[in-house]
Amino acid sequence: MKLAGTASLPAPPAEVWSLLTDPSRLSRLLPGCERLEPDGPERYKATVKFGIAAISGKYAGTLEFAHKKPPNSLILKIDGKGLPGFVKGEGRLELRAKAGDTEIAYNGEAQVGGLIASVGQRMLDAAARKIVHQFFEAAKAELASGKGAASEPSSLGQSHARGK
Amino acid sequence: MTTRFIGKPLKRKEDPRLIQGLSHYVDDLNLAGMHYAAFLRSPYAHANIRSVDLSKARRASGVVLALSGTDIDGAIQPVPCAAQIPDMKSGARPVLARDRVRFVGESVAVLVASDRYAARDALDLIEVDYEPLTPIVNPEKAIAKGAAPLHAGQKDNVAFKWELEGGDLKAAFQAADKVIKQRIVNQRLIPVPIETRGVLADYQPGEGQLTVWSSTQIPHLLRTQIASMLNFPETLVHVVAPEVGGGFGTKLNVYPEEAIVAYLAIQLGKPVKWSESRRENFQATIHGRDQIDDLEVAIKRDGTILGLRCRVIADLGAYYQLLTPLIPTLTGLMMTGCYKIPAARMEITGVFTNKMATDAYRGAGRPEATYLIERVMDLVAAELKKDPVEVRRKNFPQPKDFPYATPTGLIYDSGDYQKALDMALKVADYKKLRQEQAKLRKEERYMGIGISTYVEICGMGPSSAMPAGGWESATVRVEPTGRVSVMTGSSPHGQGQETTFAQMGADVLGIDPSQVQVVHGDTSVVPYGIGTFGSRATAVGGTAVYKSLQKVKEKLARIAAHIVGSDPERMVFANGKIFAKQSPKKSVAFGQAVSAAYVAKTLPAEMEPGLEATTFFEPTNFTYPFGTHICVVEIDAETGDVKLVRYVAVDDCGNVINPLLVEGQVQGGIVQSVGQALFEEAVYDEQGQLITGELMDYALPRASDMCWIEAARTVTPTPVNPLGVKGVGEAGTIAATPALAGAVADALAPFGVHHVDMPFKREKIWQVVSKNRRRVQ
Amino acid sequence: MIPASFEYQAPKTLDEALRLVERHGDEAKLLAGGHSLLPLMKLRLATPRYVIDIGHLRGMSYIREENGQIAIGALTTHTEIEQSALLASKCPLLPETAAQIGDVQVRNRGTIGGSLAHADPGADYPAAILALDAEIIAANTSGTRTIPARDFFVDMLTTQLHPGEILTQIRIAPRRAQSGAAYEKLHQPASGFAIVGVAANVLLGEGGKTIEQAAIGITGLSARAFRAEAVERALSGKHISEKVIEDASRNGAEGVEPLSDLHASGEYRREMARVFTRRAVARAIVAARGGA
Repeated sequence: MKLAGTASLPAPPAEVWSLLTDPSRLSRLLPGCERLEPDGPERYKATVKFGIAAISGKYAGTLEFAHKKPPNSLILKIDGKGLPGFVKGEGRLELRAKAGDTEIAYNGEAQVGGLIASVGQRMLDAAARKIVHQFFEAAKAELASGKGAASEPSSLGQSHARGK
Repeated sequence: MTTRFIGKPLKRKEDPRLIQGLSHYVDDLNLAGMHYAAFLRSPYAHANIRSVDLSKARRASGVVLALSGTDIDGAIQPVPCAAQIPDMKSGARPVLARDRVRFVGESVAVLVASDRYAARDALDLIEVDYEPLTPIVNPEKAIAKGAAPLHAGQKDNVAFKWELEGGDLKAAFQAADKVIKQRIVNQRLIPVPIETRGVLADYQPGEGQLTVWSSTQIPHLLRTQIASMLNFPETLVHVVAPEVGGGFGTKLNVYPEEAIVAYLAIQLGKPVKWSESRRENFQATIHGRDQIDDLEVAIKRDGTILGLRCRVIADLGAYYQLLTPLIPTLTGLMMTGCYKIPAARMEITGVFTNKMATDAYRGAGRPEATYLIERVMDLVAAELKKDPVEVRRKNFPQPKDFPYATPTGLIYDSGDYQKALDMALKVADYKKLRQEQAKLRKEERYMGIGISTYVEICGMGPSSAMPAGGWESATVRVEPTGRVSVMTGSSPHGQGQETTFAQMGADVLGIDPSQVQVVHGDTSVVPYGIGTFGSRATAVGGTAVYKSLQKVKEKLARIAAHIVGSDPERMVFANGKIFAKQSPKKSVAFGQAVSAAYVAKTLPAEMEPGLEATTFFEPTNFTYPFGTHICVVEIDAETGDVKLVRYVAVDDCGNVINPLLVEGQVQGGIVQSVGQALFEEAVYDEQGQLITGELMDYALPRASDMCWIEAARTVTPTPVNPLGVKGVGEAGTIAATPALAGAVADALAPFGVHHVDMPFKREKIWQVVSKNRRRVQ
Repeated sequence: MIPASFEYQAPKTLDEALRLVERHGDEAKLLAGGHSLLPLMKLRLATPRYVIDIGHLRGMSYIREENGQIAIGALTTHTEIEQSALLASKCPLLPETAAQIGDVQVRNRGTIGGSLAHADPGADYPAAILALDAEIIAANTSGTRTIPARDFFVDMLTTQLHPGEILTQIRIAPRRAQSGAAYEKLHQPASGFAIVGVAANVLLGEGGKTIEQAAIGITGLSARAFRAEAVERALSGKHISEKVIEDASRNGAEGVEPLSDLHASGEYRREMARVFTRRAVARAIVAARGGA
């Protein structure tokens, strides 16, 4: 599965960079992140509860930074497993200053396997886009509120629709 | 012999219980103290197993046993493969993966719990540490230079190479006016019987008796294999095939679950049942087809086919199941179809990939053969701008050419291909169809007509050509009360032999079919049999029944003749009586003669009492049903939708015992082909994930997708068996895909396109139309 | 195919159900017809701790005229909608859409409230509900509120319903004279979901020669069903002709990111949106003119 696009964040690249590479703040951006703790240089262990509406699952895995070129580009690697399946992905983020804001170009690939791959095909693309969208929305909120953001991990907002 | 019942459309004896839900499938069987097994399966297509931690699962409520590959190491032999291809590499699958998994769905651990809910929940507590490896999914990439071998100790992913050549191919291509090349794909399919697999095993330690109920097509072969795999005395293994809800070849196999569940029952001393979920069935029950064929055909300008060359890549999956390597070789045998092609060559490369194994699926290699040769005929017709009907007719053998020897080494028993073709053309009113097509094309409407003239090889078969024997057994016993038991080694699972063999028994012995009870599927009751597959149950199994009936009849005739004082050679069996032909008053009731055999007071001298005869029938040849199918479709150029407008099927399966059943088989086979042509495709993504993982994403044909099937028959009996019966179980599936493919290609001809690979999904057809709009003539 | 364990609760009244839903929040799912929830649970894609069965609640299954509108209870099944004489005469788009949902078994059990709340991207009703400008009534422990269809669908499987709310009713205006509607669907052959589904609801002008107003609801194309406003603008006020319909339909997928999966690419969906918009609009016009 390939994911590519751009997002605009209301802060200069240096600030965005520090947000993305600070695990205590990053954990608030990852949708459903319950835990993010160091596991080696540039590596973190994470547990994430992610879902859309009725479909949700818990995943445990690692998050890794690579090829950091502050404040302009980095590669983010994720490797997570849960009962619904596994996800392994790698994405490059490129930050560019744009009139006081930052334009982020992201380009990545993810491999998905297990249950969600065998029965969830038609929703995978949209689910991935949703995760990315939520990530950047959370980033915007975090940047807007500065360092005094709520300490609770972000949840899924309105996606509590009832499955019937 | 009277034919009061043979040839008549009797309703089936099987149906009342099936329709009322009174039959017993594996999952309906319950034994006291029964436990449930559940399998943990790999979510990775290719990975090393670093460790399997069963500790949490073992402690879970209700769990009594949990085992991994290392726990059973050596206790159960690998999954057997009966096919022998010279120099084939080892592709043996351990029943539980130990160090490495090689396809999504491969079983990694098994546990047993007191109920199926606890079993399923405990699966989530098993922790497996996988080290993912790069999956190899594309068969051509799998055998490209540098590809990592999937099996230890092998240098590449070539499982086997096989070739067949007959006639002078070099001369054929030298003499050709044209050589046409085409690559075609016969896509991987998931067979989808309504009933998924299931196994119930019970071990009685006192008697040492192991009983296994399995949804299987081959109870005796399964029994032998379970005994071998578990190193357990075969005489103490009892296998029963209860009601089986469809097999289509998927249950002509020996699966790890069958051996493991038996093993678990022995270990626990409690009955253990496993019921396969649909998702497991998709991932871990055999798949069908999956060939890439590179064709080259040498032709003369007048349409004569001089020679055919074909290079096949057969994607076998990661491991062999029972007949995996054999299936593509059947394509080679039938590659010249019903044409007099003097020279032919096929090279098959069997390839290992990280997928489930392919094996026999309705047609087993022959749909692939008919598909390729029929596409060839259409491509030749398109190239030469000739009518595809005439190109076919030109290359047919004549009826007098039979038995006809093919360059592939087969001898076709009997055939009249012209007759079937002419009948189909008449029923379809072919000329009118072409006129209608021309008219519609002017209105920018795209109607297509597809022809499939086919012959197929079935009635499997002479043992010299079969991996584990091709004979069939039957014991006929007339019970003291005059009822007849027919114990057949065939194992019907929808084919209707409880009815057709009863029809046969009734006609041979002059009684009513209701008096004849056909018994099958129980290894303790029925003599050793090979089973039901390859359209053999009637041709081979039925012949064994027929011969046993004749033996019993002959004995009864002697008993009756002895009683009435007549010539045993001149006794007639009719209406429940046995009487002398020349003086009908000299008669005994059927029951009276039967009774005499048991009471044994008035038997002829030297005659043994009892009324039982057993036959093991070895066929001298395969049988070769044939026919012509014509399909009419219309393509919606805007959406790519393919609509079935008409379907004409003329089939010749030799003599017919029950026309209702033959029609049913033909219809079912055709619909299954519609599935392959229009809807079905087992899709593994680049990670080896089976993304068509449920019926939500794998479309099967439905009644609403079908048009009415106009069926007719020609009858060309086979000399291979006394019944003259060829078999018809797979013919529909073999014939129909090319008819559909031909129709779609014909519809797209105005766009300059002459071949599209199946399935003809809407988007694919829409792409073809959109890209080629400008070429419309 | 065995769900994870859950606690089953069957409240006897809507109030009791609302209290349960509020109390359990995220850990509960509502069960009506079950044909969306149960497959997810059997696959263990959904593992709710509580299943609150409202399928037997009385007084939530009806189709009636009320204050000049047609009110449909949330627990009304697709079959009941398909066969409703009242809807056949006052709002034929809805029975036409219901008839194309899934199969007989799904239609006999599935409910309109359940389907709308689940908001599957390939569901059929959303297109019709949008084209009809329906109102959705949601109840919570403090009362009820009305959500216009246009605002209801937020994202894939996500609606405007808050946690603690239960969809209780759908309200539709009866069809006006000179109006007609049609639902055209390209179905995914395995599941029956809409790859693209277009509901067109048109109001013709004097003499039936112009389109006064058009409402087009499209489902299946993207993560959520939406109103094809570009098409509506291109039709509104225009003199009816094949070309007008054709041109307007070209905008079917405007501004929308199409889904792409193993069954249909985004490119194909976009193109089919155009084709099916044209077909739906053309048929809606025929219906408006009095033809069937």
